[in-house]
Amino acid sequence: MSKLTLNGVSKAYGATLALRRGDLEIAAGEVHVLMGSNGSGKSTLCKIIAGSVRPDGGEILIDDRSVTISGPQSAREQGIGIFYQELSLAANRSVEENVCLAMLPVKAGIFVDRAAMKALAARYIDLFSGVSGDGFAAETLVGNLRADQRQLVEIMKALASEAPILIFDEPTSALDRAQVDRFFHILRGLKRDGRGIIFISHRMDEITAIGDRVTIIRDGETIKTLNLSETDPATVIRLMVGGAGDMPASQSSAPAVASFAAGAAMTVDRLSGAGFRNVSFEVAKGEILGLGGLHGQGQSAVLRAIFGASSEMSGEIRIGGDRFDAKSPRDAIRRGCAYVSGDRGRDGVIAGRPIIENVTPIHYLRDRLMIARPSSLKAKAMPALEAMHTKFASLMHPINSLSGGNQQKVIIARWLIDKPDVLLLDDPTKGIDLSAKADLFALIRQLASEGLGILLYSSEDAELLGNANRILVFNGGSVTRELTGEDRTRYNLYQAAYEAA
Amino acid sequence: MTPTTIETPSARPGGLKLWLERYPFLPALIIVVALLALNGAFSPNSLSYRSLTGLLSTYMALIMLAIAQTYVVSAGDIDLSAGATLSLVNVAIVVLMEKWGGGAGAVIGAMICGILLGLACGVINGIVVAALRLQAIVATFATSIFFTGVALYVMPVAGTPAPALFWRTYGGRLLGLPFVFYVLAALALLLFLLSRTRLVTQLLAVGDDQQAAYQTGLPVVLVRIKGYALCGLFSALAAFCLTGDTASGDPLVGSKMTLYSVAAVVLGGSALAGGWTTVVGSLFGALTIGLVNSLVFFMGTPSEWQNFVQGLAILLVLMAGVLAGRRARA
Repeated sequence: MSKLTLNGVSKAYGATLALRRGDLEIAAGEVHVLMGSNGSGKSTLCKIIAGSVRPDGGEILIDDRSVTISGPQSAREQGIGIFYQELSLAANRSVEENVCLAMLPVKAGIFVDRAAMKALAARYIDLFSGVSGDGFAAETLVGNLRADQRQLVEIMKALASEAPILIFDEPTSALDRAQVDRFFHILRGLKRDGRGIIFISHRMDEITAIGDRVTIIRDGETIKTLNLSETDPATVIRLMVGGAGDMPASQSSAPAVASFAAGAAMTVDRLSGAGFRNVSFEVAKGEILGLGGLHGQGQSAVLRAIFGASSEMSGEIRIGGDRFDAKSPRDAIRRGCAYVSGDRGRDGVIAGRPIIENVTPIHYLRDRLMIARPSSLKAKAMPALEAMHTKFASLMHPINSLSGGNQQKVIIARWLIDKPDVLLLDDPTKGIDLSAKADLFALIRQLASEGLGILLYSSEDAELLGNANRILVFNGGSVTRELTGEDRTRYNLYQAAYEAA
Repeated sequence: MTPTTIETPSARPGGLKLWLERYPFLPALIIVVALLALNGAFSPNSLSYRSLTGLLSTYMALIMLAIAQTYVVSAGDIDLSAGATLSLVNVAIVVLMEKWGGGAGAVIGAMICGILLGLACGVINGIVVAALRLQAIVATFATSIFFTGVALYVMPVAGTPAPALFWRTYGGRLLGLPFVFYVLAALALLLFLLSRTRLVTQLLAVGDDQQAAYQTGLPVVLVRIKGYALCGLFSALAAFCLTGDTASGDPLVGSKMTLYSVAAVVLGGSALAGGWTTVVGSLFGALTIGLVNSLVFFMGTPSEWQNFVQGLAILLVLMAGVLAGRRARA
């Protein structure tokens, strides 16, 4: 008998389909693994079940009865508990308050029954006694905990719901071995109780250790459900990738430049910092070096560290033979380093200001410009914008009047007025449309052919396979594999990304 | 290099940080003590029992209003209509007490009406901000104009006196102790009880991270509305104290108090972004403002310079509090 069934559930955000068609069936007493690459719709599916995202269509059945889940509160009442990937904790509340937050025990109708709350929280805190690490206590404020300890609190919170259906969306990403073992031990107990468990992880060894069945989800569509005992990792990865997985990167998207004998544009030697360690590589002039792997394995952290945007790091960086260790982004820009982030709102756009002001800040910095005439600035800004095929009404229109793709073009154009030596691209195509992407990569290839060294991190594997000369696969903060030439296949990329660290 | 060296754990806070976490109002308390000492230095008489009682009864209204503000700030909201609510309740109870004859029954009846009126104003704010999702600053600014309009309708001109029974009780003594001490004791008890309620924990969780609270399954909209209702309730209590102190009705009396109440919340050590607040700190914050004002007076500042010195002093106190807090938490 099935605890939970989803039939054709879908969700769209504006024009983007986050979930095209979700079909899922969870049996009592099983751990059901969801697998799919970045942005395939796993988290959307989980949030729909947990009520925090409302589906556009489809049907949800619990214990074979059709139900409507109107919000997280109603999901909870219908017996669904969830671990959120991005966590749902209150940083200024204690561990025990967080664990019990959804159902604080009360006395006299309005007062928190602190004794009952302590007893309730202790039951779940004790489950992890011995592995929860230094400084972990029921009264500690969650904001004072380490990342792994916070993740444990979110696990305890999900367990405290005592829900018959439990969802764990990447619960193990920050946990150490002992913590994962303890968690799996608890999960096995829940299985024996007949709970239905949805489990998401990117680590193949964990999936085979705990999972019973796996459902593969690709491009927002659930593809297939398999028994894990009757399949092997290679089959699973092939299904995630789709039919074209074994083919090398197609001919039309061959690397921009075949030979680059001009020397190294940038050398990075044993770079370590928050979120990555011992990263070494060399980018030749004219080369596009891809950084691949699952999201958040240290790729962005490395790029930001090179650009001088993170505080602590060790190792050596050289640009064109000179020692380069930028103390701040301002410093990095002066020395010929450029950085484009996919997070335009945070790192790029000067919101509400005209396009011309958004194109020229780097020029001001590099030329130490104090006073400028609009006409001469315009003469410098226009070629850069035209190189990107940017569509805009006039230079004086606010940048917010442009679409996301055109905004990103403006951001990139600002680096083109004074050419840098090294271009760092940190998932630059996040949330922009296909034609803008095509323009962007055409330009990136042209820049490479002019001799720039380019570092490209993309969460979309097709972009890496189609544009990078070499791909460094990141896993757990360090480079685990390098793919060159014929090895640059979708299959190899997935395999390297999903290997246990 | 091992992962443990990359992530330096700050799980065990230092002694001072632990103290601040448990008693976030400590910097505000120290500032109040320092200001009292300064007041005493300029005018020893200002530390007498009599003048301290006077200070308390004058600033009790601001203390109540700052506490009212604290509950909405807890949830990450703000209420710029707290002062207008105070004015409205002030004129309403004065008019009702006069109409009903000014006896004990009239006073109690009017106070019950005042509390209901304050709650109603709070609920209106809550619905406008939380349910209709309007920007808290602008929406409560708009309701403040609306409430002021109603207050002006109830009492177009300031000056109607409150019945003698009311202000004589507030300014008088009971069993040998000033009445305002009983008010303070009752307030302390009320704050203690409130701090134990589920609502306050939920308000703080909402202020900490509204999305997380929603995903946890908390009724976020309802919690925020209740926060505003609590603010309305305390605004009404503030109006009672003010009426007891001024002994008359004034439809515009509270308008300049609103931002003082916000300042008191911050001076007390609460985070304006929500999730981290202290009502006791707000009490000290309000006293800080009162003591700064009296200090400016005792220093013999020429009247045309009083605003200037007052503003400068509050700025200095704010800087001292922020620096102390930052050093301790680092």
